[in-house]
Amino acid sequence: MTPETRKKIETLFERYPRKRGALLPAIYLTQAEKGYVDREAAQDLAELFEIPPVAVWEVLSFYNMFYTEPQGRHHVYVCTNLSCSLRGARTMLKSLEAHLGVKAGQTTSDGRVTLGHEECLGSCGTAPMLRVNSDYHENLDTDEAKRIVDSLE
Amino acid sequence: MTPVITTPYVTNYLTEHFADDGYRTLKGYEAKGGYQAIRKALRMEPDDVAAAVKESGLRGRGGAGFSCGLKWSFMPKETDQMKVLIANADESEPGSFKDRIILERGPHVMLEGILIAAWATGSSRAYIYVRGEYAHPADCAERAIEELYRAGYLGRNCFGKKGFDVDIYVHRGAGAYICGEETGLLESLEGKKGQPRKKPPFPAQYGAFGLPSTVNNIETFAHVPFIIDRGVDWFRGIGTEKSTGTTIFGVSGHVERPGLFELPLGTPLREILGHAGGVRHGRALKGVIPGGVSMPILPASDLDVPMADEFLAERGTHLGTGGMVVMDETTCMVRVACVVSYFFRDESCGQCTQCREGTGWMNRICQRIEEGRGVPADLEVLGDLPGMLEGQTICAFADAAAWPIGGLLRHFRDDFEAHIRERKCPFPESFEL
Amino acid sequence: MPKITVDGTEYEVPEGKMMLQALDDLGLLLTEIDIPHYCWHPKLSIDGSCRMCQVEVEGTPKLQIACNTPVRDGMVIRTNTEQVRTAQRGVMELLLINHPLDCPICDQAGECKLQDFAVRYGLEHARTRDPRRPAKKGTPLGPTIMLDQERCILCRRCVRFCREIPKTGEIGVFARGDHSLLEVFSGMELDNPYSMNVADICPVGALTTRDFRFKIRVWFLEDRETVCNQCANGCNLYASVAYNKVYRYLPRRNDGVNETWICDYGRMSYRTIRENRLDEPRLGRSTATYSAAIRRAGEGLRQARDSGGRIVGVGSAFAANEDLFVLRQLLDGLSAGPGLLVVPTGKADELLIKEEKAPNAAGARLLGFEESSGPVGPAAVALVLGHALPAEAFEGVETLILIDTHRSPLVERADVVLPARYFAEKVGTFVNHARRIQRFLPVVEPVFECEPEGQVLQRIAVAAGLDGFSGTYDPFEISKRLAEEATAFAGAELGTLDDQGQEIP
Repeated sequence: MTPETRKKIETLFERYPRKRGALLPAIYLTQAEKGYVDREAAQDLAELFEIPPVAVWEVLSFYNMFYTEPQGRHHVYVCTNLSCSLRGARTMLKSLEAHLGVKAGQTTSDGRVTLGHEECLGSCGTAPMLRVNSDYHENLDTDEAKRIVDSLE
Repeated sequence: MTPVITTPYVTNYLTEHFADDGYRTLKGYEAKGGYQAIRKALRMEPDDVAAAVKESGLRGRGGAGFSCGLKWSFMPKETDQMKVLIANADESEPGSFKDRIILERGPHVMLEGILIAAWATGSSRAYIYVRGEYAHPADCAERAIEELYRAGYLGRNCFGKKGFDVDIYVHRGAGAYICGEETGLLESLEGKKGQPRKKPPFPAQYGAFGLPSTVNNIETFAHVPFIIDRGVDWFRGIGTEKSTGTTIFGVSGHVERPGLFELPLGTPLREILGHAGGVRHGRALKGVIPGGVSMPILPASDLDVPMADEFLAERGTHLGTGGMVVMDETTCMVRVACVVSYFFRDESCGQCTQCREGTGWMNRICQRIEEGRGVPADLEVLGDLPGMLEGQTICAFADAAAWPIGGLLRHFRDDFEAHIRERKCPFPESFEL
Repeated sequence: MPKITVDGTEYEVPEGKMMLQALDDLGLLLTEIDIPHYCWHPKLSIDGSCRMCQVEVEGTPKLQIACNTPVRDGMVIRTNTEQVRTAQRGVMELLLINHPLDCPICDQAGECKLQDFAVRYGLEHARTRDPRRPAKKGTPLGPTIMLDQERCILCRRCVRFCREIPKTGEIGVFARGDHSLLEVFSGMELDNPYSMNVADICPVGALTTRDFRFKIRVWFLEDRETVCNQCANGCNLYASVAYNKVYRYLPRRNDGVNETWICDYGRMSYRTIRENRLDEPRLGRSTATYSAAIRRAGEGLRQARDSGGRIVGVGSAFAANEDLFVLRQLLDGLSAGPGLLVVPTGKADELLIKEEKAPNAAGARLLGFEESSGPVGPAAVALVLGHALPAEAFEGVETLILIDTHRSPLVERADVVLPARYFAEKVGTFVNHARRIQRFLPVVEPVFECEPEGQVLQRIAVAAGLDGFSGTYDPFEISKRLAEEATAFAGAELGTLDDQGQEIP
């Protein structure tokens, strides 16, 4: 954890009656450094929050958006819950798997994209969709999805 | 990204101006009469505000449909502790996408509702818990909050009312459906795993950080300014006797025009489907999930049900979030069961025995049946499991996992039996799994 | 006090308690009233997740968990209705679908709550056709504990224990749903002075002690009441015994002493019953018979007394009050002045571990032994229990008579050596740091010839020709006398003490 990250985290403490409240935002800030939180970063967080490291790891492992392993430069997630599946999301996911040569949950060998599927992302009315990092791409078809994925650096 | 849906196809008081980009700003919101209701509320006694909300019959829009005013009344009156409001925007119930539009298109109406609730309950702190995936909606809410601070509407002596101090923060989740459950949310807000708390104690006594707390869905808050502004009688005049006001129905799945529709509670299902353009490609309807996938499915024969909880309950289901999922005649209901049970297996927090183990078992059985490997005994176990989960755990998640499977078996048992009999999925046209 | 009715019987229960706690406080839980449970533990915070303790409460449609339902006056509770039995069957079935059912190779078999409750409350047949969830088998969690992750039912007792009792918090549950796994933080171990308690509270075979693992089937063991002699706390124990051998210590609940916990050091001290024992009488460098050694000791004392030589007695904080009483009598009979006492010390903590590393320093003080750190000499004879003093402390002592349980360098220095019964081999009382007098009972028989210190001292006294000694030692009789004579022991008699001990004024 860099001193800058630490400083940013410390400014969040006042938002919560107990500083542990700032753990989720602190993990986001820590994760932003290299895309995941490793063992050492978790220990830094534990020290900063005065909790056992195992408690930090429990939180990291509980939430889908926290990563403890290196990730691709971009996250591409296909929502495969019911509304999206009814409108072809899984067909789209399979074609992306073939297109990228990886299975959902894997990262392309060049480290460009980590492909995944996710549960409902609140785009049921604009299905199917992709979440690319923090952006939603909606009302897609397979070709459009491939085009979006190809455009990622 | 510009959101693709900017406004419901059918609007009413709540979403009337959602299409207007300016409405997202403080200036634009005030131009449409925004922040007058809070001023009116501040001229009233807090108890009178709470009483008005209670009398209005406003029921929570997050899924459980509990009386909003009654919930507020649980907050302790005499306490030295800071009281906390939590606006639940963890919207994760599959089929629901209304809260997102409120954050993106009407953040101020939600914030005004939170401020009125703060006055009514004596709360001085509010957190808006936004699911982590809603990065842009959360940004929209944060921008709106910054505007309020800059205008002097938040912080100390809000709206010039001496002693009315309120701070509001956005807190982002990190991808866990269970954090929509109010005590799972509280745990998550405290920086922990989002595992729901056993009750007692209840949040009004021991909530966020041990402080007296009330959690409401953000749509619930968004109705409040209109109740204060236009009056209880006006509000009671919309909807049904027991379910007052409008709600933002979502329609997704096999319809021509999926989207959001703000309609009075009690609007018949058939009418809402009509607004959504009906079943797509002119196909016949097979079933509708009325309010997020937790709610038991309705067969096509129940199309005339008014979409309000008291009528849906008669048919063994609930309004939930009002996020409806429509399935046409090609749909394999075992595949639906696979998708839904996978979701609950994936999202169970893992505390309670029945939920942790039962969700996985249901999913494995559904998957096996879908793949043509099911045996009649599987169907027997699958039939027993909802009863083994329902009503026996810390929170209602297990109920939510049990109900859809129970509903699918109740109305579409034939689909399951056909898979077992034919040892394959007999619905070649169905959506791909 | 509120009155509640459980299965038709009315009970008066403490106010403001949860149902399980209230019934447990009254000693009714799992004795008179059957409410099975996994995650609840009387000394840990409430978890409420195993759902095994559901009961019917009149007026409430849903079943309620007894662990988190406050008792109310007039509450009517039913623990054995069809609804309750159905729920219990459901929990059992679901707990077992992913359990490896490897009971034949599981150390917990025989004392496993999953086995016990499955027999009592479960289904007769498994209905699952799926493979069981794979997870780690037999991996060390640290120096003392093994984890069999597949067997874990995620009751989180161990997690709460580590957070709430030693406050070290090493264990957590990672991931969620049925992917949840009990784990420690990578690279960190479960390593604290109380770590092995997690094996006791684990209701299944997920956590076992590396020490006891695969040693013996628990159904061959008999748990016998005893107390720990490793520090002044005097934690209550069971010694698990088979074939006259102690295989392990387990904590025995005593809310006035150790609640339900013991430290790892104390737990491992069962080994001192067999290890490094002083097992033969000696005269100088050569082995002797017991009676020869007694004779020699008696002669030494008589000569010293007759020639007016100085006689010094050294008591031991490891010896029982009854033994020490005989030593005091003997010293009085020789007009030798009060006995000395040396108490070994070490690190203490705020939980159980006390600074004084012996079980009966308080008792010895009450019996008039005076603390000293030596030197003992010069003297004609030193009559010594135990080896708290080093050999150098006995410089200038002409005859050193040592009565001891374990080998030490002092044995080489002593002129007469008499092996004594260890506390695990006899009956007696200790007084702990908080002046609680506690009994201990024989859990095994010694495997070589030895006698209680009191008996040895009686025989020495007779050999020395002292009046008022019969040559026989009866700790019950002594305790009775002590209870009558010495004010500190008033009313606390070995014969009437129960397994929880008693505070003395």
